[in-house]
Amino acid sequence: MPEMLSLSNDPILFLSVMVAKILVVFIVVVLIVAYATYAERKIIGRMQTRLGPTMTGPLGLLQPIADGLKLFFKEDIIPAQSSKFAFILAPMMILVPAFITVAVIPFGDFITVGGYLVPLHITDLNVGILYILAMAGLGVYGIVLAGWASNNKYSLIGGIRSAAQMVSYELAAGLSMIAVFMLSETLSLRGIVDAQAGSVLNWYIFSQPLAFCLFVITSLAEINRTPFDLPEAETELVSGFCTEYSSMKYALFFMAEYANMIVVSAITATLFLGGPAGPFAGPINLLLKIFFFMFLFIWIRATFPRVRYDQLMFMGWKVFLPLALLNIVITGAVIVF
Amino acid sequence: MIKEFIQGLSITAKHLLPGHTTTVEYPKQKLEIAERFRGLHRLVPDHDREKCVACGLCPTVCPAKCITVEAGEDENGVKYPKVYQIDMLRCIFCGYCVEACPVEAIEMTGEYELASYKREDFCFTKERLLK
Amino acid sequence: MAKKETMTINMGPQHPSTHGVLQLVLELDGETVVNAVPHVGFLHRGVEKLAENRSYHRALPLTDRLDYLAPMSNNLGYVLAVEKLLGITDQIPERAKVVRVMMAEITRIKSHLVWLATHALDIGAMTVFLYCFREREAIMDMYEKLSGARMTSNYFRVGGLSLDLPEGFENDVLEFIDAMPGHLNTYEGLLTGNKIWQKRTIGVAKISAEDAIDIGLTGPALRASGVDWDLRRDNPYSGYEDYDFKVITRDGCDTFDRYTARLDEMRESCKIIRQALDKLQPGPILADEPSVCLPAKKDVVNSIEGLIHQFKIITEGFKPEEGEIYQGVEAPKGELGYYMVSDGTANPFRMKVRPPSFVNLQALPQMIEGSMIADVVAAIGTLDIVLGEIDR
Ligand code: SF4
Ligand code: SF4
Repeated sequence: MPEMLSLSNDPILFLSVMVAKILVVFIVVVLIVAYATYAERKIIGRMQTRLGPTMTGPLGLLQPIADGLKLFFKEDIIPAQSSKFAFILAPMMILVPAFITVAVIPFGDFITVGGYLVPLHITDLNVGILYILAMAGLGVYGIVLAGWASNNKYSLIGGIRSAAQMVSYELAAGLSMIAVFMLSETLSLRGIVDAQAGSVLNWYIFSQPLAFCLFVITSLAEINRTPFDLPEAETELVSGFCTEYSSMKYALFFMAEYANMIVVSAITATLFLGGPAGPFAGPINLLLKIFFFMFLFIWIRATFPRVRYDQLMFMGWKVFLPLALLNIVITGAVIVF
Repeated sequence: MIKEFIQGLSITAKHLLPGHTTTVEYPKQKLEIAERFRGLHRLVPDHDREKCVACGLCPTVCPAKCITVEAGEDENGVKYPKVYQIDMLRCIFCGYCVEACPVEAIEMTGEYELASYKREDFCFTKERLLK
Repeated sequence: MAKKETMTINMGPQHPSTHGVLQLVLELDGETVVNAVPHVGFLHRGVEKLAENRSYHRALPLTDRLDYLAPMSNNLGYVLAVEKLLGITDQIPERAKVVRVMMAEITRIKSHLVWLATHALDIGAMTVFLYCFREREAIMDMYEKLSGARMTSNYFRVGGLSLDLPEGFENDVLEFIDAMPGHLNTYEGLLTGNKIWQKRTIGVAKISAEDAIDIGLTGPALRASGVDWDLRRDNPYSGYEDYDFKVITRDGCDTFDRYTARLDEMRESCKIIRQALDKLQPGPILADEPSVCLPAKKDVVNSIEGLIHQFKIITEGFKPEEGEIYQGVEAPKGELGYYMVSDGTANPFRMKVRPPSFVNLQALPQMIEGSMIADVVAAIGTLDIVLGEIDR
């Protein structure tokens, strides 16, 4: 049994493996973000009897790159009446938490590098779930800031909507997660994955179906996807908090939205579907699960209308929150008795 | 409630299957134009010249006032349009000119790609309309 | 207690959900609308004034551009009005009348499809939008086949029709109305039962029957408030009295009921079209009224009388006797009325259009005061306004 690679036994190898892991994960996430936009346009296009992008490259495969280039060369407009610092800060405040959440997601078991065992995750925090919740909380600031700094009434309404929405749905999402770590008895994501190991039936989706549904729905709301895309609500608020943004800053918002989708899919896969467990190699299993959820999100977007702000709040506080609490009580009772 | 959600999802999923797209990839493919399509005008030629006898009915009926006809007489004393010009920027493609012409000298073709960068390009003179 | 402040927000004229260039000045208290003032006129082209400087014949294309989503209904109202002014209403041949009814109903479906598409899009269901436009495309193709233009049809003429039906047109129509109920079920599958759609529409933008009558609402918006009033039945024109159809009413007074009412109206339209197809007999398409109608093209080319006739009508036009009339038709959006005054010349002395959207828009402030911003777009959608007709 080889020893676990750590800073003390081989610092140079440890650091280079660490950097390599971070780079690989980052590049994979960025690639998925880019091609998620492509996939979304293709899939929704097909569902709506259209074709989606076809002109750039074979099957339009270069479309994300063309989009990126286009946005990059667009004039970067900062409205004269905006508060410039916050205006520039906001897109970063959204994107960074979205990306760094990925750090705690385990994407495989262990591999041996140079005679040492290397775990396939960037870091294993023993408070992993709290970290995720904290990062999700940070994301709100970006949107509120963007809405406020733009000095545009539509953006402001969008920002306020999203603040209220994310805060209230985070609560329900957090509470539905509690049931999971009541079962696993750990807050570390690696621990939760290990607790689901063995057979498919050990996955928490089977022991916690209610928590699973709640989590998927509330996280849809948290990442502002249809049917809960009120902060952007194109037909009401004209894109809401990002109305005034252009060029690369707008691209950052766009990337953050898709990065959040990936993060939420990955967390759902980790908490309820055994993470990297499955028939293939660990990372591939996880990716497949992520793709499944992303397809689901896109599918939902193509099908459902948007809910109204007050109904959204009503659902968050009066339906999902009590259900999540109920689920905790039931889980607790089952564990105790 | 769940049933309806699933019903909705299945409708969109059904359209995901091949064979449901209706897109016509425009510059590459084009819609078939109906026979009666009211596109760019054409002056009907008659032997070596246009059939038009410069009667002046089409400029009279044109609601957009975009046809200019100036009558002239050739060496045999036959009336012909010295100037015949349609300002396509004003034309509303109503088809009244075709309906009014007593000698069927003007017709409308299926040509609809009329965009251009220059204003002058929209001034369709007799020579261009005869093509 | 803190001072209560409201925020004023300009919705439009550049806004994706105001269906063109409507401007709404909203006074908001948080997300709640305290006050709403619609401003119109951004698309004003002076259609009524333009008509005064044109002969009756040449004013017809102007009407295409009122409600550009339902050009044939506008044409129909206009030609009926002029025919009434001329007193030749009884001389319109049967075939022309049947084709007019058929096309008016196809136009109703066309207009309702755009309404459903944009209404659903405003509420966030964007797939319905594209499905509706797919069906609308089929109607556009029919329009093109029949009249030569996809939108500004300019097909009816005072006294009848400009051209006879092209070959195979009946089959196209039949195919379309056979397929249409299935498509309607698809839209319903995506929307009617959907809990979110119901939440967004039931009880939203209510208007009671009394208020609706006071304001002068017409069309599906009125009928969904429980008022059984349809000009096709209550003041028939163009032979509508010979058709068997139901006038769809609802009692909910809200957006959802207006939605189901319009969907059922499309189904009824399909039935009317089917009856019209059965009634279609070969025959003349223009009234035998040489002082008004253009002669047939072959007469013009071959006979000197025809030629003179053609010259006379095109250069002089026809001159109705002095007088004034009002003719209303049940356009897809409500009662479209033409009030025409003749002073005995070839140009109308006055053409006043009563556009249904303009009158219906008046209900908007009442519908949305006290509701959320999101309901504003739902209310604009459910009224089915077209700015081309409001601003004229
Ligand atoms: S189509 Fe109509 S507007 Fe155009 S030139 Fe002919 S009469 Fe004039
Ligand atoms: S109506 Fe015919 S003949 Fe007369 S001027 Fe026009 S094109 Fe020429």
